[in-house]
Amino acid sequence: MDPGTLAISLRTLAISGAATVLSIAIGVPIGYVLAWRRFRGRTILLGIVNTGMGMPPVVVGLVVWLLLVRSGPFGVFELIYTAPAMVIAQFLLATPIVIGFATASFQSMNPRIVDLLRVLGAGRLRRVWILAREARLGLMTAVMAAFGAIVSEVGASMIVGGNLERSTRVLTTAIVTETSRGEVERALSLGVVLFALSLAVNITLTVVQQRSRH
Amino acid sequence: MDVRLDDVRFTRNGREVVSIPSLQIRAGRTTAVLGPNGAGKTTLLRLVAGLERPTAGRVLVGGESAERGHRRVAFAFQEEVFLRQSIRKNLELGVCLQGASSGEARAAATEALRLLRIDGLAERRADQVSGGERRRANLARALCLRMPVVLLDEPMAGLDGTTYSRLLDELPQLLGAGGATCVLVTHDPEEAFRLADDIIVLIGGSVLAAGAKADVAASPMREVVAHTLGYAVLQRGERRVAIPSRTLRLGQGNIEFMASADAVIDLVSAWDVIVSVGEARVHVPLSRTATPPMPGDRVLIHAAIAYDLLD
Repeated sequence: MDPGTLAISLRTLAISGAATVLSIAIGVPIGYVLAWRRFRGRTILLGIVNTGMGMPPVVVGLVVWLLLVRSGPFGVFELIYTAPAMVIAQFLLATPIVIGFATASFQSMNPRIVDLLRVLGAGRLRRVWILAREARLGLMTAVMAAFGAIVSEVGASMIVGGNLERSTRVLTTAIVTETSRGEVERALSLGVVLFALSLAVNITLTVVQQRSRH
Repeated sequence: MDVRLDDVRFTRNGREVVSIPSLQIRAGRTTAVLGPNGAGKTTLLRLVAGLERPTAGRVLVGGESAERGHRRVAFAFQEEVFLRQSIRKNLELGVCLQGASSGEARAAATEALRLLRIDGLAERRADQVSGGERRRANLARALCLRMPVVLLDEPMAGLDGTTYSRLLDELPQLLGAGGATCVLVTHDPEEAFRLADDIIVLIGGSVLAAGAKADVAASPMREVVAHTLGYAVLQRGERRVAIPSRTLRLGQGNIEFMASADAVIDLVSAWDVIVSVGEARVHVPLSRTATPPMPGDRVLIHAAIAYDLLD
């Protein structure tokens, strides 16, 4: 692998990895609340989350661009066309996926488990931690689905990252660039790298997931 | 540690599930809550465990509100719930959450597993053992916490005959060993009388009888209580009387009734049958009568005890 491809691959992994970790940190607790609490507007919220799971990346990218562009409400932070902007956009794409899968995982558990943990004296944070461990099979699926969705998206990364060669070019945007230049062979090899990267991450997560069954 | 309910009402979806003006569950004793399905027995346990907040009134565990009593109450749910880990780890988790060290938790779990005779299953997951073994593990978890109040919801439900009789023999000793206040829910009167010191009869969310089991057994007062205690209710002249079914016999005795056998229910052995007389089940020793009664036959029944009913 040439140094340029390696740099793009590592950048891809770093941006999509960071967005996935953030979406888990925010999405799992929200999934817990949606699964176990009953409150007004919960069903509508679940409907919004489910819609968000299929949100077109290019639309999310456009919204984030409007917010981060210099004349936008968060322009002062000068994040547009940077890697953090791409992390934000990918985080917004991944979070509904994590929330949706986490909610389903928690809801598929026996509701008496919460009663059991309360009677045993587990505090709220401890309960979330124990239940997340208990729902780990489903939560690992959430991680895989979220990472798979954002590592392969191109629209949002292109719009908010700008596809700058040394700072924001990732595998998907590089494939688009090489294809438009007529460098089909290079585009194809980048595609193979993207597929291999995705496969390696998912196989690792699947091994961890299946080990935790026993 | 005693448990008190003062003017407690609990409603769910607008329906009153429990309404108890006053009730005391005595410290250090085993109390059976007896009642039919839907009587509010499990809800009563959940109120004592602090898992439900009463709509009105107070539930006090050792003088403190039950809602703050999570670290004083152990609860074995009717539907056993285990985390996806070994039975030992499930037991240890509860002990660790009480602030014990991992060594203390391991020792407590080992002791409880030994008492319940499932120490060989410690490293297996709950979904890898039989229903009876899981029920024992559920009990072991409640007992190893060594809480001053232990709540058992239908601890014997769903057990096969052998395991049931063995546990019925062993449970009083297991419950008595810790000196805890134990409240167990059941709809089986025989189980309640075998296991408990005190009995509460809960019907339609109200306490219709409560006290030491001998007192409750000797004064059923109302027909619905008599039925819940497993008594046969029979007409004797102008009066309706309740008779412990196990004391009914065919033939001569202190108190005699003529009744009509509705059906032959069961052939107990080559010599005995059970026939139904109204709601009562009457044991008929065939050695005294040449042939079992047929449905509609008039049978002479005798009983050693009969309690007058008010209604």
